[in-house]
Amino acid sequence: MRLLIVEDETRIAELVQGALARAGFAVDAVALCADARAALAVTSYDAAIVDLGLPDGDGLSLLGELRAKGNRTPVLVLTARDAVEDRVRGLDTGADDYLVKPFAISELIARTKALLRRPGGALGMTLKAGNISFDTVERDVRIGGASLVLPRRESAILEHLMRRLGRVVPKPVFEEKLYGLDDEHGSNPIPVHVHHLRRKLLDAGATAEIHTVRGVGYLLTESST
Amino acid sequence: MSVVRFRSLEAKLALRLAALYVAATALAVAALIYQAYETADTLNDRELSLRAADLARYVAVDSTGAARLELPPELAARYQAAGNTDIFAVRRGSGAVLAASSPNFGEVAAKWPAGTDDPSYFHLKDFGSEGREYYGLTVVQSSAAGPLSVSVARAADADILVHSMLREFVLDMGWIIPLLVIATLVVGALAIRSAFKPVAEVSQMAAAIGPGATSIRLPEANLPSEIIPLVAAVNRALDRLEQGFDLQRQFTANAAHELRTPLAIVTAALDTVDGNGEIAKIKADVARMNRLVDQLLRVARLDTVALDVSDRLDLNDVAADIVATMAPWSLARKKTIAFHGDDKPVVIKGNRYAVGDAIRNLVENAVAHTAPGSEVTVCTHANGSIGIADRGPGIPPEQRDQVFERFWRGKGTGSAGAGLGLAIVAEIMKAHQGSVSVDDNPDGGMVFTLRFGRAMSLRNEKSPAAAAGPSE
Repeated sequence: MRLLIVEDETRIAELVQGALARAGFAVDAVALCADARAALAVTSYDAAIVDLGLPDGDGLSLLGELRAKGNRTPVLVLTARDAVEDRVRGLDTGADDYLVKPFAISELIARTKALLRRPGGALGMTLKAGNISFDTVERDVRIGGASLVLPRRESAILEHLMRRLGRVVPKPVFEEKLYGLDDEHGSNPIPVHVHHLRRKLLDAGATAEIHTVRGVGYLLTESST
Repeated sequence: MSVVRFRSLEAKLALRLAALYVAATALAVAALIYQAYETADTLNDRELSLRAADLARYVAVDSTGAARLELPPELAARYQAAGNTDIFAVRRGSGAVLAASSPNFGEVAAKWPAGTDDPSYFHLKDFGSEGREYYGLTVVQSSAAGPLSVSVARAADADILVHSMLREFVLDMGWIIPLLVIATLVVGALAIRSAFKPVAEVSQMAAAIGPGATSIRLPEANLPSEIIPLVAAVNRALDRLEQGFDLQRQFTANAAHELRTPLAIVTAALDTVDGNGEIAKIKADVARMNRLVDQLLRVARLDTVALDVSDRLDLNDVAADIVATMAPWSLARKKTIAFHGDDKPVVIKGNRYAVGDAIRNLVENAVAHTAPGSEVTVCTHANGSIGIADRGPGIPPEQRDQVFERFWRGKGTGSAGAGLGLAIVAEIMKAHQGSVSVDDNPDGGMVFTLRFGRAMSLRNEKSPAAAAGPSE
């Protein structure tokens, strides 16, 4: 998987590049908007990490150009500006996520992977969390290599949790995705499905765990060691 | 010896004006009385001289060559009617008495030296059968019988009318003058008071000026012109102070901002190094430094940029969002967060991001202080308030006001916070004209409550957080 880093601070670019390389990504780093344009024109990247303040222009305008051309490459914006207008502007212009400097590299890697796990993203085909792997095309769930058969709704819940690994999926999202298309009657409420799914994962020895955030939703985290 | 000094302009003016009035009226009355007596005396003199001339005119010489006073009957009658009030004596030189109003006055006058052209004055005490007091003059008058010494006098008590008139006048003035003084003082005091009313208003405005509100300037309109130079000078001083404050804030913001990139480098570099012990400690230190810089920047921004609080936002929405983003961080610390939204959207006026920051800071604070394995709860209420409750050790009542001060940190908590989180919350609530308070949690620990203005009622607006409802 190939990533592009647009960052003018050479030390940061270097460190991010090194960390992502160790995480198994091929990484190109450029320092200028012009170089980024050139790189994006010739190479198809799976995701881009863009710093907002660049010497020859604004990262946001680069992003705007990209989206105007129909380029859907997931973009993670890095910014030292956390003023609210900047956040809003960044997301409006088409950034998929943003990180405020200074950030932990582990957070950057997690966010990047989350972008890649989105449907259509490079990691969107086979999702991984701990020893759980989920082939979204075959709908095949495996725990440490052993297949686990899940009812349709439970597998849909697991897919959403795995796509947003480590982040809370609000309950309204489940309701929308699970009940939007077919019958709303006679189906169990979300908590019941989550309860069953959690039990099944536990029984199968999964090294990822579903947590409840009461009043908000659920999240999946990889068990620590 | 202590001297009472009146600092109030009103009292000063009143005191000095009162003294001036007393002195001025005393002088005026004295001058008036003196003038009145003087005039009365002059009139008296003149009348006596005229009478002397009159008497001389009626002295005639008969066929035998003897001189005699022949008063016309009406004049004689008048002297008679006056009794012994007006007396006279006419002599030839210093010699024999030609005529006298009464024989005893004639006898007295006969002993006097002859008069001269200039009148010579005399004063008779205890004279006559009635023992009256007389003032008079002797003057030489030419007559048909040659130069004659004419002495005329009038009883002092005949002036009683003039004197009583004068006395009455003084008494009248005595009544009016203190009244006048009081009236003037009252008018003066009222004038001063009304002139200084705008000054009191300006003082109130000045009281609101502080590090957080340096843009206030005192209005010069309606002020007494004597005060305007002072107010203008104060305003110019405020301008200079504000510039200083701005520089200070700008410096804080810039310093914090500039610190971010090197900190980002250190943070990123540390992440590439594995290891426990010292490395883990350094990572924790750097994380704390990151947090401090981040909060300094937030404080600087709250100080410099006026917060736009005109948005409408649903507290359920914002709080659910914050709880969702903070849940992983909290879970990593073995603490859970729960959200209890009011059934209906709790819509308030405010700034979504600032309100989010306030809730986030309180949740961070609660998670930091709550016991492992316990739960931090965030509750919204229909009255436009939100409570963040922990199960921590609590805060002693005497420290509860201090926790919102900048750089305050609980003693012995050993918390890694910068001491700015709660100060930021207080600033944000101030900008929203709301309040933050801290109370005991009935279940143990503390509850921080953010109160916004009255929640707006919006029945038809559906919020995702409200729809979430209680879970399993």
